[in-house]
Amino acid sequence: MTTQPLSRRQLLKRGALLSGGLVVGVQLPGCSFSGPLPIEAADEGFVPHAFLQISPNNEIVFYCPSDEMGQGVRTGLATLIGEELDLHPTEMVVRSAGSHEAYANPEFGIQLTGGSNAVRAFYTPLRQTGADTRALLLNAAAIDLGIPAQQLSTDNGHIVAGDQRYPYGEFIATAATLELPEETPLKPANQFKYIGTEFTRVDALEKSTGTAQFGIDADISGMVYAVVVRPPVAGAKPLKVEREPVLAMAGIIAITDISSGIAVVAERYWYAQQGAKALQVEWEQIPLGNIDSATVKADLAAALEGDDIIEATSEGDIDAGLQAATHQHSSDYYAPFLAHAPLEPVNATLRIEGERAELWTGVQSIQAAQGLVERVTGLARGNITVHNLYLGGGFGRRGTLTHIVEVAEIAMAVQKPVQLLWSREHDIQNGLYRPASYMRISAGIDDTGRITAWHASRAGANITGETMTNMLPAMFPRMPKSMLTGLAGSLDYVFSNWAVDPSSVEGLHETYDLPNALVTHATVDHGLPTTFWRSVGHSYTAFAVESMIDELAEQAGMDPIAFRLKNTDGKPRMHRVLQRTEELMADYPLPEGHYLGVACHSSFFTDVAQVAEVSVSDSGDIRVHRVTCVADVGTAVNPDIVKAQLEGAVMFALTATLYGRIDLEQGAVVQSNFHDYPLLRMNEAPQVDVHLVDSGTEPTGIGEPGVPPLAPAVANGVYRALGKRLRTLPLRVTANV
Amino acid sequence: MIEFTLNGQPVVFHDDPNIPLLWAVRDDFKLKGSKFGCGAGLCGACTMHVDGKAVRTCVLPVANVAGKSVTTIEGLGNPSDMHPLQQAWVDHNVPQCGYCQSGQIMSAAALLAQNPAATADDVDNAMSGNLCRCGCYPRIKAAVLSVAEESA
Repeated sequence: MTTQPLSRRQLLKRGALLSGGLVVGVQLPGCSFSGPLPIEAADEGFVPHAFLQISPNNEIVFYCPSDEMGQGVRTGLATLIGEELDLHPTEMVVRSAGSHEAYANPEFGIQLTGGSNAVRAFYTPLRQTGADTRALLLNAAAIDLGIPAQQLSTDNGHIVAGDQRYPYGEFIATAATLELPEETPLKPANQFKYIGTEFTRVDALEKSTGTAQFGIDADISGMVYAVVVRPPVAGAKPLKVEREPVLAMAGIIAITDISSGIAVVAERYWYAQQGAKALQVEWEQIPLGNIDSATVKADLAAALEGDDIIEATSEGDIDAGLQAATHQHSSDYYAPFLAHAPLEPVNATLRIEGERAELWTGVQSIQAAQGLVERVTGLARGNITVHNLYLGGGFGRRGTLTHIVEVAEIAMAVQKPVQLLWSREHDIQNGLYRPASYMRISAGIDDTGRITAWHASRAGANITGETMTNMLPAMFPRMPKSMLTGLAGSLDYVFSNWAVDPSSVEGLHETYDLPNALVTHATVDHGLPTTFWRSVGHSYTAFAVESMIDELAEQAGMDPIAFRLKNTDGKPRMHRVLQRTEELMADYPLPEGHYLGVACHSSFFTDVAQVAEVSVSDSGDIRVHRVTCVADVGTAVNPDIVKAQLEGAVMFALTATLYGRIDLEQGAVVQSNFHDYPLLRMNEAPQVDVHLVDSGTEPTGIGEPGVPPLAPAVANGVYRALGKRLRTLPLRVTANV
Repeated sequence: MIEFTLNGQPVVFHDDPNIPLLWAVRDDFKLKGSKFGCGAGLCGACTMHVDGKAVRTCVLPVANVAGKSVTTIEGLGNPSDMHPLQQAWVDHNVPQCGYCQSGQIMSAAALLAQNPAATADDVDNAMSGNLCRCGCYPRIKAAVLSVAEESA
């Protein structure tokens, strides 16, 4: 990319027609940032706004504002703009947008991909942008062709006049002289051509031929390779480092202290890895070093009996609800720490030259990556270019960017272009984790099977405060460190003592009609770093809630689906999903020795029910044969990608259900690679049948909502098989008998 | 100095012969389609063919392929001339993040070269060493079987 900003006349509400190789200097409507757009101009390319570039040969580039980590967002967002622009999404060239506030996620206000919100948040803005651009091209064609715009129409990238078709690209010279229309009416849903249809993902070809570029594939002339030796106990500082023997090893260029550990820099990754393995470091002792997994669980359980409990939600009168109950029941549930283990370990490649820096990586917030490079290097933001390549899996892991801080510190120290790559062992042992959670639910039901009282409590570490600690330096690169520390510290204090972090308790009460509900929380943080993990709090709360619902259904003597239907009258979307599930189960062919477990959960505005067909071998191995997944995601922009996300969510969640655990011994993570942190394999993968229920609403979340119901559905199936409740994840038949 | 054939071309590797083939191919011969996932032969993202057999190259010293023929995803097919499996991958909308898919396709190609009419069980047996964190397994399996059935 050319990085020289262009001094051009400022065009308000107008695009720019460009010579090749220039960075676009367009003043965007409603956008206070007048810096150049990070768009590489094609020769005579027309850039009407931040999202598109149209070339005379009718090549149309869409700059995708969200990060593609497998969820299909490039295809989804291309479909939104393409629907109104009238251009098939697969005929666009889809590129990752650079860092610019024009690409901010409309809900977050920054460029950040997470929370299953991209298609939902961009649903109207990108269609509007497409519609306005189409109107602009029609106006330009009307002038060039001498035909009133009302007599023109469009079809897949062409202006249609009678039986003549003209590529959009023929009208861009005139379009560049016109104002971009605003508030062009959008199509009604029944006229959609692309939304709601299934076609090949825009990235399928690259990803099937080894030509897709991931962060790890960056290859910069003269670059050196860095491996960081980090403390086995997170946060410990080195006391003594034996540098000399490693500096004498083949290929080693430098050993440099950075904030997270000691970087070994070498001519090749292999040499850096050998050096890192050989480096002898003595680490300081810190309190986390006294913590084992058993300590964590015991401390969390004790916290629910303690005084430091704060109220998250209170509705109705819990005591009155308990008095009205004919049955009361209480159970405890536990979910461990988890690593994300995206198949591409995190990495980054940074080149600093004079006053400019260029970063190649794959992250869930390009803007945060840019901010962190600015903070460490002190370079002007406008001089830092970030190329966000494909992410080899995200799952929340690529939202916290300690590796960007690392690569910037190393590049500053060695004054060479650097590629930093985490090993799998680093990924499992030195990362950020889904926090362990201890949950207790006490509930009452009346003799009709209605839940009259619901008290759900959770103990564990919080996520939001810690993530903000990592995000604040990125968002405010010029804020002094002392002020940042103060801000982050006060967030931690607030979430520990005053208000409950919403991410810690989300999902504990929202799915059902609960007239008398109380949600409480106790913060217990042993110091292991935490962050968002696909479906965040829902990933553990759904296990507790849906296990308890199954237990209550049994106490009520009701079928598990009927009991859920009974308690979702006030949740029409979920109620309809459950009705559809009930219909599908009516003639379900259940083999001898197989059992069904049901669970449902609402998250990210989407409602999902899953039925797991389970068997348990004599030796206690749990096998999931088939999962029926019913979901209401509103308008499914690309139904096949929605199905793929739900299929994948089942597999991701089944790994956590059967295997997922990060254990601590003296504060250090025990697991290290896929032999002891296994992922589900093909021979263990269940058949997944996805059924979409369309409530006709705008799109709701897709990437995450398929994860939460799976673990309790399997646990409830195991109960049918064995008559034993497994209330600890991962599910172990023998350990829980 | 290690000489071998890479996607039909003779190549010479001049560095330490203990370096894993994966890094030689990625960093010296600049073929980036094969991926690093675990460094321990546990995930299959680095799978290439050595004399036609699917091999985990993140733990295979370059020295071990001296005089042998190595094929990577780039040698299997390319966007304008795809291997039938690559076409099946596109047709079944298999990839999500896509990172493991080169390794998946290389394992599948080795299987079908040996056993063109592979069954679902054959696919499970041959492919269960290739991990996919996104959980594309049902589609991977369907794509492989669609090619197997064509030749059955």
